[in-house]
Amino acid sequence: MHLTGIDLLFWAAGFIAHVTLLLVLWVRHRAATFPIFTILIASYVIRTVVLYFTALAGSKNAYLLAYLSLGSVDLTLQLCVVYEMASHVFRPLGNWAPDARIRLAWIVLASIAIAAGLTWLSAIPPAHTVLRTTLIRGNFFSAVLMTELFAGMIALSVTIRLPWKTHAARIAQGLGFYSFVCILIEAGHSYLGIDHDIKISADLTYFRMLTYLICVGYWIITLWLDAPAPKALPKEMEQHLLALQRQVEAHLQRLRTMGR
Amino acid sequence: MRATYFFLVLSVFLLALLILVVHSYLRRIRTEKRPYGSWEKLLGRLSAVNRENVVLIALSLVDESGQRRGPENDANLDGAQIWSMIGGIEGLETLERNCAVLVDLVYYVQQRYPEALVIAEQLRLDAREIEWHIGRLKSAAKVGRAEKAFPEHAEQVAAIYYVMTRRVLALYERWNLPGLVELQRAL
Repeated sequence: MHLTGIDLLFWAAGFIAHVTLLLVLWVRHRAATFPIFTILIASYVIRTVVLYFTALAGSKNAYLLAYLSLGSVDLTLQLCVVYEMASHVFRPLGNWAPDARIRLAWIVLASIAIAAGLTWLSAIPPAHTVLRTTLIRGNFFSAVLMTELFAGMIALSVTIRLPWKTHAARIAQGLGFYSFVCILIEAGHSYLGIDHDIKISADLTYFRMLTYLICVGYWIITLWLDAPAPKALPKEMEQHLLALQRQVEAHLQRLRTMGR
Repeated sequence: MRATYFFLVLSVFLLALLILVVHSYLRRIRTEKRPYGSWEKLLGRLSAVNRENVVLIALSLVDESGQRRGPENDANLDGAQIWSMIGGIEGLETLERNCAVLVDLVYYVQQRYPEALVIAEQLRLDAREIEWHIGRLKSAAKVGRAEKAFPEHAEQVAAIYYVMTRRVLALYERWNLPGLVELQRAL
């Protein structure tokens, strides 16, 4: 497979950016807080290397096959990252907030249904091989699904009044924004195909890579920086809040008895 | 033709998604700055229920500190009185909406003091559960299944609501949190 200068530049930039991000996650001890996100980034380092050598030594078909297989792993890991972010927001005490659980399940189901519907409706790619069609539609489906999930999580957290922690919010913003741009790019690919020799199709791919590099840069900076220090809760206020909580709990007991 | 439909549907979908995210962010910013929305709005939400009556119903069951009264001090309001004083189902609906105010107040404490997470989250869940109980009582009353039980339940709900608002007010007073004067007026 022939690689142009710009291809090599993006490859090198992607590799360096991912390694830097991994170092940031490690050095700033974010890996312990976001283990799945760290695994995702580590998988991207491996993916960059594997795809580079496949592109260099293998055929176009072998490259597409490798891309598709690694893409499935990518989608699985990205969904796990969504779960990780959701558990940071909607499991503030270690258990899923009951008012969030059912709504979250509905968001997931609706997201899958809408993503599947849009993928079904998407233009039939000009590349008629099953492999290419699967690749384009798979990418489109995953982009729509990820965007919906992040948008749904943001809306739900605001509705039920659960705040986002700084770093979780930054990771979600980056992934959400990238997925949103990917919808546009993959919609373009579904119409134009993914032949790298067609200029407009290649330009779309470069634009996707550039967007992703910007997101990685955003993560490197924001995950390096510390979250704003929380204001210390005065001991007396903690006692006051605890007393309030106990009283509300006691009232609730009365209400629960009433319901029987 | 199919491509045209696809891009049309996709545009609508992306626009809707964008509006949802922007609206949520704006709402979050607004909530962080003014956790209760505008005060006028809050007062509007509370005005539908007769506060004096809620206090009267509540004080027939509990004293000012929230302690249950002994049978000798019980004011013994009858069912019909409670029903009319609380304003029937509409009155309960207002109390239900007011529980959302409590969630807002707790959210604000958590925003200001992230260390309060554990207690604040528990309070948030409790307030949600109270909302749920009121909702159930309301539904039962709507279909006439709670005719007999309603007065007693409504009395309890009013008492709990009253005590909760007193406690939250005490918290704001003790820590002189912003918005205290308006809150005193509203609650």
